[in-house]
Amino acid sequence: MQEEVVVSGRDVWKVYGEGETRVRALQGLNIDILRGEMLAIMGPSGCGKTTFLNCFSGLDEISQGAVTLEGVNIHDLTDRAKSEYRARRMGFVFQSYNLLPVLSAVENVELPLLIGGVLPKEARERSEAILGELGLAARAHHKPSELSGGQQQRVSLARALVARPAIVWADEPTGNLDEEGSIQVAQLLRGLNRQYGQTIVVVTHDAEVAADCDRTLKMHDGRFVA
Amino acid sequence: MVSTVLALLLVMAGVAVASTVVALRSPIAFRVAMRNVRRGPWRTALVVVGLLVGTTIISGSLVINDTVSAVNVHFAYQAYGYTDEGIYNSSVAQGNFAYAFFPESIYGAIANRTASDPQIVGTTPEIVTGGSIFDRTDGVPESGIQVVGVNASAGAALGAFAYDNGSSTLGPAVGSVLLDDQLAANLGATAGDRVVLYGATPVPLVVQGVVKDDLRGGFLGGNTAFVSLGAAQSLWNASGRINFVAVTNAGSLARGLAASGAVTAQLNATLAALGSPAGLAAYPLLATAVDQAIRSGSSITTLFLVLGLFSIVAGALLIVGIFVTLAEERKGEMGMLRAVGLSRRALVHTYYFEGLVYAAASALAGTALGVAVGYVLLELYVRSVSSLSPSIATAFAESFTASPQSLLTAYVIGFLLTLGTIAAASARVSRLNIVRAIRSVPEPTPPLRLYTGLAYAGAALVALGGLLFAATRTGTGDVNPPIVGLGLVIAGAGLVASRFVPNRVTFSVTGILLIAWAGTTSLHRVVLGSQHSDTILAIFVEGILMVIGAVLLFVFNSDLLVRGIGRLAGRRGRAVPVVRVGLAYPRRRPLRSAVNFMIFVMVIFTVVVVASYGAAVQQGLDNSVTAESGGYTFFGFTSVPVPNLPAAIANNSTLAGEFSTVVPLVVGTVAAALPGGTGVWEDSLYAAPANASADQNFYATNRYNFTATLGGVPASTVWNELATNASVAVVDGAYQPGGVTFGGSHPSVALGAVVPLENPATHAVRTVTVIGYMSQTFLGGFWVNPSTAAALGYSGEAGFLLTTAPAVAATTAAQDLKRAFYPEGLVLLDFAQILATSVQTVEGIIGLLEVFVGLGLAVGIAGMGIVALRAVVERRTQIGMLRANGFTRGMVLASFLVEYSYVTLLGTGTGTALALWLYYNATAANAGTPFGVFVIPGTTIATIFLVAYALTILAIVGPSWRAARLPPAEAVRYTE
Repeated sequence: MQEEVVVSGRDVWKVYGEGETRVRALQGLNIDILRGEMLAIMGPSGCGKTTFLNCFSGLDEISQGAVTLEGVNIHDLTDRAKSEYRARRMGFVFQSYNLLPVLSAVENVELPLLIGGVLPKEARERSEAILGELGLAARAHHKPSELSGGQQQRVSLARALVARPAIVWADEPTGNLDEEGSIQVAQLLRGLNRQYGQTIVVVTHDAEVAADCDRTLKMHDGRFVA
Repeated sequence: MVSTVLALLLVMAGVAVASTVVALRSPIAFRVAMRNVRRGPWRTALVVVGLLVGTTIISGSLVINDTVSAVNVHFAYQAYGYTDEGIYNSSVAQGNFAYAFFPESIYGAIANRTASDPQIVGTTPEIVTGGSIFDRTDGVPESGIQVVGVNASAGAALGAFAYDNGSSTLGPAVGSVLLDDQLAANLGATAGDRVVLYGATPVPLVVQGVVKDDLRGGFLGGNTAFVSLGAAQSLWNASGRINFVAVTNAGSLARGLAASGAVTAQLNATLAALGSPAGLAAYPLLATAVDQAIRSGSSITTLFLVLGLFSIVAGALLIVGIFVTLAEERKGEMGMLRAVGLSRRALVHTYYFEGLVYAAASALAGTALGVAVGYVLLELYVRSVSSLSPSIATAFAESFTASPQSLLTAYVIGFLLTLGTIAAASARVSRLNIVRAIRSVPEPTPPLRLYTGLAYAGAALVALGGLLFAATRTGTGDVNPPIVGLGLVIAGAGLVASRFVPNRVTFSVTGILLIAWAGTTSLHRVVLGSQHSDTILAIFVEGILMVIGAVLLFVFNSDLLVRGIGRLAGRRGRAVPVVRVGLAYPRRRPLRSAVNFMIFVMVIFTVVVVASYGAAVQQGLDNSVTAESGGYTFFGFTSVPVPNLPAAIANNSTLAGEFSTVVPLVVGTVAAALPGGTGVWEDSLYAAPANASADQNFYATNRYNFTATLGGVPASTVWNELATNASVAVVDGAYQPGGVTFGGSHPSVALGAVVPLENPATHAVRTVTVIGYMSQTFLGGFWVNPSTAAALGYSGEAGFLLTTAPAVAATTAAQDLKRAFYPEGLVLLDFAQILATSVQTVEGIIGLLEVFVGLGLAVGIAGMGIVALRAVVERRTQIGMLRANGFTRGMVLASFLVEYSYVTLLGTGTGTALALWLYYNATAANAGTPFGVFVIPGTTIATIFLVAYALTILAIVGPSWRAARLPPAEAVRYTE
């Protein structure tokens, strides 16, 4: 059976600034990411990892080339269509968790479901369920400020996965965590990837996280290197 | 004035010296503060704009005061001109005679004695009386005019009369009359017209010319005919006599004014040396008028300032809000500064110096803006009264004044207010945990010991409030201290209870109690009795307590409210997450929202209170046409008693069909010794014949109402008693205790009170018992039995109440009646016309007040704008996360709009509800009076609502749109 390409990039360039301040953050990247694959992107600071994630997820525009997600050229879509696509098909995990401090854990998790039009009651049930799976059932109604860093990142993971997106983008998900928390989150990512077959792209400095992935790509100066 | 300026300058110097000392002792704090000021010019500008509102209100009020005073002083100068002092005897003031006549020879003696006084430039003999005039040339009569007899050859000190064409004359020639602009306009008279003056003896004269209503020609306010002294003496059969000596001081008007006290004393000493002839005394007329003019300007300032207090407090809250926002933004920096060794005091100094710059700049800008606001308001006023009273409009237009003293006062008060609030806010925000600040960890839930501390503070408040309440519940007429006292007790009890009972319960109950206590006028009467009277300040005191109550309810119940509103968003669709996110901030951070909520509540409260009272007064005045008129069309009075006006009208073929009722009234003046230490109060006396025929019988034809009667008896019983009992009286509505009055003061008298009434001229005294309060106030004074009036020396019928016959135009009937009785000096007052004028005047003033207090809206709107701007920065990563999770730009924008709409609409609605509640209670407590009408000014409130909301949305839509446009990739990784 032929493996399905979910994310495809062809000659993708991202250039910031002009003239002498011009920075080539991505330099003609070509990549295919398969459905159910867990891919790690590694590299030194400033090599373009986060730019890669932003440009391939549609959070940022590209300067040249094409990025297709499930056959759709994401950069041909309007802002509204991109937003809707993200709501239905993508999940995000950020280094600083980016939880809404004024919402409880479960309210943060159910947000993507509500955006996707799921009924509040169902959204609440699904959110509580996934928080339970991640060992946070008892903390579901706590605000982010009442949770540890590891717990907050698990809530962030739950939020990224609760709508069963096709692709999960994780930007340094263990960057703010201690070793134990890092291992915990890495194992969760791998477990969820295996359980639900979602494509997960992890941008990381953490070799332990990369070791758990199906494939690791290294970046340098906006290019993939061997 | 000099001492005030000096004091203000000393205060500023004190602040400057203290700040310099602190700057020298904390150079790092000073340097950090100056860099904070410079690092964001736009933010600095925004903060200055946010801070300047309080100063603007103060400056605007003072400029209005300056201008009103200048206008009043202008009219005072115009009325008295170079008549600095007057020598006269006013003890028999009645009808056309303000002053008693005395032999002209006395003037000669006075002139001789004062001729060598260097402070006096001249004395002028005059006759100042009333009268009527008939222009034979065009057939127009005018009653109730002022007639001034002058001696052209002896009046040089008073200056010349200026003709409208620019030339001048020292006075009227024998056989001629000078008409001032106003009288000439009323008569349609020009030079050469033949006129007849009517007094005791008709005097035919020729109009010599029309003179300007200025210093000389505007004597005592206008509508004046100036005649020779001989003509005036002929008019009143007063050959060889005068009734007034005008004294002119040396030097300019200002110098003459300054010397008036000394000159008056000198004149009275001279009169005493002459043996006090004819009971004459000298009075500083111009100085008194100027003093009153300045004082009446102050009362208007008080009104504007009290109503502006809400905006000033709102401005102070905004200052707190701005500094809390700044502190939140710089929490990490502050933590770092503390970590590297900066003391907490030095941190406070950092904010103090930054605030010092903001306060200096905002006070300057606010003072300037206040001048502009004052100018705009006065311009609006001029436009609103220009058709009603062109002379007042012109005077205002020409007298715009912003005195240096007022500008300095506004600047210093605004500066200190801003700096004081900043200093207090700085002390609060500088109290932080270094680690939490550096790591941006939220502050933990307050520990129990905080509530213990609050309980102690609450106990102190209860004690303080209890003492204040106990001390002022009785024995003082001011209702505000006991209201504040019990308010403090309620608030203190709430703080004590918070130590033991959950916050929601404690503070919700406290809030409800505060609103109920402050806003229920009838409750005040029950608890405090009826000896207290409301003042304009009560609106502020009650309003602030109610607003505090509402804020407590908001803060401790916001989550319930938000949950309820969230349900309204429906069950599916984009609205659900938008509302969820939008309302999450006010729900979970109610204290932050509370500042803006409170600002909106206070400002809208004031605007709606003013609008509601305006509507009530207007409606009251509309309803008063019947109440004030008693069903009659005109009130008329003559300069000389008319023995039988009803018969004269009945016998006149034109008039007989025009009037259905003609009620004669005996009119006089009495000095009432009011019980309760209120003192002697001079007022009018009215008495109607008891046994007149049906169409002349006051007791049968009047439709005057009573707001209260002794023993609660019906009106018919009271009138019957008045018609038959010489020992009773009824009084106009202004005597009722507890009545609401806009400005001025009027003594009250209790029902059943026994009041001695004295004729000031004859000193005859009769004692009456007050048995009812009439609802009308137009014919103010004591209404007594005719035999009482006669015993006091009043029997001539010089007042009349008249009703036009059906289908007869009031204007036609009035013209015919005046034409028939101008020789008797008949003046007719049309009730409907007077009330219409009052309505227009009140509308103008209320409109101005609405605009003025509406300035506070700027505070609320600026507050929202600043909070929204900061929110965009503060929440960038959250906005990025939302966008990453599928929020469209529209949804981000909508969530911001939902958040700010919630606070704005809730604040606006709460302010409106509180204002209507207070207003309803106040009107209920004054039922039966013109101030007892409850009318909801729906259109005005809807306009206020829409304007407030629209402007707020306008202020926040920019920042919200910026938030929506944030590229998600930038937002998620943003660090400020």
